[in-house]
Amino acid sequence: MIKRQRSWPIHLTLIAACFVMLVPFYWVLKTSISGENIFSYPPNIIPRDPHPFYYVDVWYAIPFARYFLNSVVVSTLTIAANVVLNAMAGYSLTQIFPGKQFVLMLFLSCMMIPFQATIIPAYLITGKLGLLDSYLGLALPMFSTIICIFVFKASFDAVPRSLIDAARVDGLSEWRIIWRVMMPLAKSAVATNVILSFIWSWNNFMWPLIATRSQDMQTLPLGLARFISYQEDTTGALYAFCIMVLAPGILLFLLAQKEFVQGLTTGATKG
Amino acid sequence: MSAAAMETSIKRPRFAERRSTRKAVLVWSFLAPSLLIFLLYRILPLGWNVVLSFEAWSPLKPAVFIGLENYQEMFTDDDVFWQALWNTLGIIASAPAGIAVALGLALLVNSNIRGRDVYRTLIFLSYPLMTVAVAIIWRWMFDERVGLINYVARSFHLADSPIPFLNSFTWALPCVIVANIWQMLGFYMIIILTGLQTIPANLYEAAEIDGANSFRRFLRITLPLLKPSLFLCFVIGMLNSVTSFDLIYVMTNGGPGHATEILVTYIYKLAFNQTRFDYAAAITVVFFLLLLAVTWGANRLSGGNVGAVEHD
Repeated sequence: MIKRQRSWPIHLTLIAACFVMLVPFYWVLKTSISGENIFSYPPNIIPRDPHPFYYVDVWYAIPFARYFLNSVVVSTLTIAANVVLNAMAGYSLTQIFPGKQFVLMLFLSCMMIPFQATIIPAYLITGKLGLLDSYLGLALPMFSTIICIFVFKASFDAVPRSLIDAARVDGLSEWRIIWRVMMPLAKSAVATNVILSFIWSWNNFMWPLIATRSQDMQTLPLGLARFISYQEDTTGALYAFCIMVLAPGILLFLLAQKEFVQGLTTGATKG
Repeated sequence: MSAAAMETSIKRPRFAERRSTRKAVLVWSFLAPSLLIFLLYRILPLGWNVVLSFEAWSPLKPAVFIGLENYQEMFTDDDVFWQALWNTLGIIASAPAGIAVALGLALLVNSNIRGRDVYRTLIFLSYPLMTVAVAIIWRWMFDERVGLINYVARSFHLADSPIPFLNSFTWALPCVIVANIWQMLGFYMIIILTGLQTIPANLYEAAEIDGANSFRRFLRITLPLLKPSLFLCFVIGMLNSVTSFDLIYVMTNGGPGHATEILVTYIYKLAFNQTRFDYAAAITVVFFLLLLAVTWGANRLSGGNVGAVEHD
């Protein structure tokens, strides 16, 4: 029998915590739809004469569609490359081959190198490859991730050997074994890969800041940060832009909540 | 007949050998693209940083070997470096505060109450969001004129005049830390929650029969068994906040003065605003060694399996 504690103090504390987590969103949302001067004091808790003008302003003040397109292209490239390259590497690690220990050691030590500690050479290397200010250059450093390779490896390890042997006897090539036999059985690993690489590339700020020069190549976070520097937050349009950037992320999170939480925590515990 | 048998017995090992070579080639070719990326963007940069840190070089003049001069300048002659280093360490030291709050929340969410999934979702919500947007939100919260925090402080007469939080030498760093903890809180909570759920319930029952009160149960059962999860939170939180370039770049850009400068923002400014790649590389090397040391220390304290990857 479960002893039921009095639950209202718990509810009260948790509601307070959720309040703290949500109020900042509300404050920005409120600002983005207020009809009055956003600098009047005291600030209104509830927006007066709500209107969507700031959202229209965003559309005219900045190339929002262009930023959005750039973000989508870079993220799509990153996600596709991650799924393919990580699946291939993960499959290799389920095999026995000369030099396997070396590869594992290499991967584990690479994990210890945060991207921020590589920016200068990364910039110089990308420049030497002639990829600065290009979609490929923006996505390339994130094309493969060690954490995700191990996620694939763990999930491939769980596929029964007899199934792979049967596929070999049927004459399937290793390439086909990955795509026809393994991948359909590793759906959750694919989901983790897609979610992690999407979040990393979509939210990435530092690398696009370094690797892009022209405004045409800027991604959403970069556009958002640049918007402050020439609008000096004198306008509600900044906050409308902020909401426009956040809304798809929040929506996506609420729709695929379980996968997000699972993906992000496996991503963390594995690396 | 016997000749044919001999032939196959000779041929077979050679055939097997050829097959295993073919397999090794195949495996390595599957690994090659990923290895190339890591070589290009992890290993090579690490080495290049070290080499660059011993040189005087900029894109316009040829490299000259200058030994430890960059390091000498950094340690003896650069106040900003020291400030950035202390700020970085300060942010690392703030991680346990966030983890403690998250531990409390995780214990509450783990209790048998209605709507726990809703609480969990709402608290986790801020973690996967774009940090640049989070920084803008918090800039606005801390705004001097109409920020919510100033408004509340003034309504309750905690402050007589508006506090210019992000322009104040005392407040700017704590404000950045608050924003950072706000974003990481849900993540810590989920990690701790996962840890809590692995603790077998019968341990608590046994302790209860032995007459241990709930505080002692927490101290003697929950906390020791959660140690790996807590240290995992610390290592990830530390890496995340120390490298939270986005947050600081947008919220304060290291200012006022260098009050919120961390090593990463300083490296960025040196390299890409002042084109001092050589000196920035030397600081990067120190930064990297610092991260290694802290991670190693946390690993030792936790009993040695933080961030370890399960592999055979």
